[in-house]
Amino acid sequence: MSDTTITIKRSTPKETPEQRARKRLIQFIASGVVLVLYILLAAFVQTKNPQGAFILLIGLGFGYILQRSRFCFTASMRDPVLTGSTSLTKAVIIALAISSVGYMALQMKATGLSLEKLGTDALKSVTQLPGHVRDAGVHTVLGGFLFGIGAVIAGGCASGTFMRMGEGFVQQWIVFIFFIIGSVIGMAVLPAIKSVPFLYQATPVYLPKLLGGWIPAIIFQFGMLFILYIIADIYGKKKSGEL
Amino acid sequence: MAEKTLDCLGEACPVPLVKTQKAMESMAVGDVLIVNIDHSCAMKNIPDWARSVGHVVEIEEVAEGEWNIIIQKMK
Repeated sequence: MSDTTITIKRSTPKETPEQRARKRLIQFIASGVVLVLYILLAAFVQTKNPQGAFILLIGLGFGYILQRSRFCFTASMRDPVLTGSTSLTKAVIIALAISSVGYMALQMKATGLSLEKLGTDALKSVTQLPGHVRDAGVHTVLGGFLFGIGAVIAGGCASGTFMRMGEGFVQQWIVFIFFIIGSVIGMAVLPAIKSVPFLYQATPVYLPKLLGGWIPAIIFQFGMLFILYIIADIYGKKKSGEL
Repeated sequence: MAEKTLDCLGEACPVPLVKTQKAMESMAVGDVLIVNIDHSCAMKNIPDWARSVGHVVEIEEVAEGEWNIIIQKMK
């Protein structure tokens, strides 16, 4: 075939170099203003919470990485179905594994190495532990399903929406308004859902407690993540025709 | 060699990709599709998909925050 030589036509840019330089200048000034406002906000938050400025800084770093890496929790679950690409799925699994290490360290400190502090007056319920140990059941699955539909239609989950708001994508600002409305409705109907035993199981699943110790819990946690990673890897390779 | 432009400005993440996939179906081998996008997420998943299918892809920033994805159908 003679036309395998790739001749992709270059489209003409919409902006002249002068227009672009002007926009760059506006960006530069705007980022300076935002930076000053951010520092002022940090100084204000610091007066309310001794860790406030630090948390803001972590948030800034998180947002930067999210934007630069095009990391997206929604895409990690959507792209395998839509495009067959599992690169983000694998990235999320790795992120879960890394954060598991951190949370395990914090929780081990709270529970003790052989869970001896669990059930004492200081630590009555596992839901008091750091790392959002929450009730799991039918409501988790239903909620996740509803959230997933919403996130795919809206073009991003919570962090993705914030990141694209910053990028200046107007639709995401509309999403944000309804995100707040939805959260308020959710909080309002939560007591009603909690009163239905079929929908809401007040049973927090805590692996170290369930499996009787930290060692089996660690093996189970990382084993499951590893298996999921392998599945995602094989699935991605199959879809792209490498296997 | 036909050329087609697909306007996806203002459309959020999965929509440009689905529209691109649909448009590619109706095109002949060697045809070029130009997709206009302004959602940064589509800049990742459209080329990802097109390359995995085997097309030739190029991305151009035509304005601040606005890109053209140029896809040549290869099979």
